[in-house]
Amino acid sequence: MLKSANDGTLTAQSPPGGPLERWAERHLRYLMLAPTVLILLALTIFPSLYMFYAAVHKISPNPDLPWEFVGPGNFARLLSDAQFHVALRNTVVFTVVAVAVEFLLGLGLALLLDKFIRRLTFLKTVLMIPMMLPPIAVAITWKLIYEPQFGVLNEIMYRLGLPLQAWAGDVNLAMFSIIVADVWQWTPFIFLLMLAGLASLPVEPYEAAALDGASSWRQFWDLTLPFLKPVIAIALLLRVMDALRLFDLVFILTGGGPADRTKVLSLYIYQVAYRFADPGYAAAISLFVLFVTIILSTWFMKRMRLAD
Amino acid sequence: MTPRTLHRRSRTREVLTRLAAYLAILVALILTLFPIYWIAANSFKFDIDIFAVPPEWLPRNPTLKHYDEAFIQRPFLRYALNSFLVAVGTTTVSVVFGTMAGYALARFNYPWQWRKQISFWILSTRMMPPIVSIIPLYLFFNYFDMLNTKSALVIAYTAFNLPFATWMMKSYFQDLPVELEEAAVVDGDTRWGAFLHVALPLARPGLAATAIFCLIISWNEFLLSLIITLTEQSQTLPIGIAGRVTQYNTYWGEISAAGFMACVPIVIFAFIVQKHLVRGLSLGAVKG
Repeated sequence: MLKSANDGTLTAQSPPGGPLERWAERHLRYLMLAPTVLILLALTIFPSLYMFYAAVHKISPNPDLPWEFVGPGNFARLLSDAQFHVALRNTVVFTVVAVAVEFLLGLGLALLLDKFIRRLTFLKTVLMIPMMLPPIAVAITWKLIYEPQFGVLNEIMYRLGLPLQAWAGDVNLAMFSIIVADVWQWTPFIFLLMLAGLASLPVEPYEAAALDGASSWRQFWDLTLPFLKPVIAIALLLRVMDALRLFDLVFILTGGGPADRTKVLSLYIYQVAYRFADPGYAAAISLFVLFVTIILSTWFMKRMRLAD
Repeated sequence: MTPRTLHRRSRTREVLTRLAAYLAILVALILTLFPIYWIAANSFKFDIDIFAVPPEWLPRNPTLKHYDEAFIQRPFLRYALNSFLVAVGTTTVSVVFGTMAGYALARFNYPWQWRKQISFWILSTRMMPPIVSIIPLYLFFNYFDMLNTKSALVIAYTAFNLPFATWMMKSYFQDLPVELEEAAVVDGDTRWGAFLHVALPLARPGLAATAIFCLIISWNEFLLSLIITLTEQSQTLPIGIAGRVTQYNTYWGEISAAGFMACVPIVIFAFIVQKHLVRGLSLGAVKG
């Protein structure tokens, strides 16, 4: 992106100061980058390696007992652990459905409202509030709304003459309830990014298309969508990565229940590590999740040339 | 079809689009604001009114009872203070180092395509789900006797705030013209001096936005705090709230009061950074 990256040669005219300062000035590009690289190495690479070490052991909840080496045992368990499969499926279902709904709603609203809302910064910001809020606050808000006895949603159902539901407590509606709360919080994100994408569209191709008599539907498919593609890719990447780590909403609204219908991978890892006191196996599941997210995000980012 | 009817048709269509748009804005506003209003309204009700059926749409008998319960009788003020301190610590570390790294990645060349590779790697650390690091972090902090400390939270939060700050600042510095810094160097300033005296002041709005986003991310974090903290000495606001949702009882009034108070600073921040929202939420990838 940057055309005229300075390679530091400008400093060749021997800067003032002692030898140490001159040395620092000469290696400035490394010195400025070093703290961040070192901190992130310590906080990501080291834990990943340590996690691998933990994953090949059976770790007793008693810290005085030594770790027992079990080799690939914990990884083999992944194949036969039915709860893990349920959690994996729930995570995939949640991610696909929630992100798809958020994307279609956000894009649709942006297309409909672009012309009307472009200058209304205040209104736009108000619509963006949900995604900034603490997920825990969002979770208790929706818990209050879903409450079967005195919640607002059942009041609305009652007035419409529809059957009352247990929502987050209902086997068939629990996942739906989680998705609705997530859609409430994150549709604004897609909406905002799509508005930004639409605002940066060039005008000329549309004028040409209008002269050629292209329908607005054709213009959307042949012009708008291709132009928006980079922004769509970024929005989807960030949303998918966030949806894969869903934890707070489930923790508060359902605790993974009823009947494991909303048990997602993050929650399952948490339960295995703490409730079942089996950190070795939790590390093995974590490595699986890490592996999947690295593959997914690398593929995405490479395709989009995000790092340029 | 005569041109006249064609014209009339497109006008009807325009009016309809306009109507649909205003209707959509209205519905979106109601759907956005009602849940926030609802938690606020319930925080000002007596318990008996919270449980009322049909619900009491406006608190008929407003009270500050739950604010007293949460913030005076129970340690929610302490939780909020912990959240604040941890957020400030994390933000300071992330913005200081992230600004330097962002500047370096925006301005300098490195051998062997390092610039690209390192940028990419830093971004990918941001993609790592926090759940995958809880096991090593827990064992690590346990080993160094740092569980239940605020410094442990600052360290853990830095892991995802630092990549964010680096990418944000990189994108802001890339937008600044390099010529001003070159001029400063020609005038005898050092390369570091050009960064400090020329680039940094110009990047001030970006710096402020990055800092506010870091504050928000830390303030909202839940999972890592759930793992690392044990008592009110270090527990953050979200943990305090979740702690009042128990298997046997949910203290609706208290969590509504605390939850609403947790949202207030965020809403204020959202308006301060409204011009930077797009960039902040896309890690600098989309320039709004």
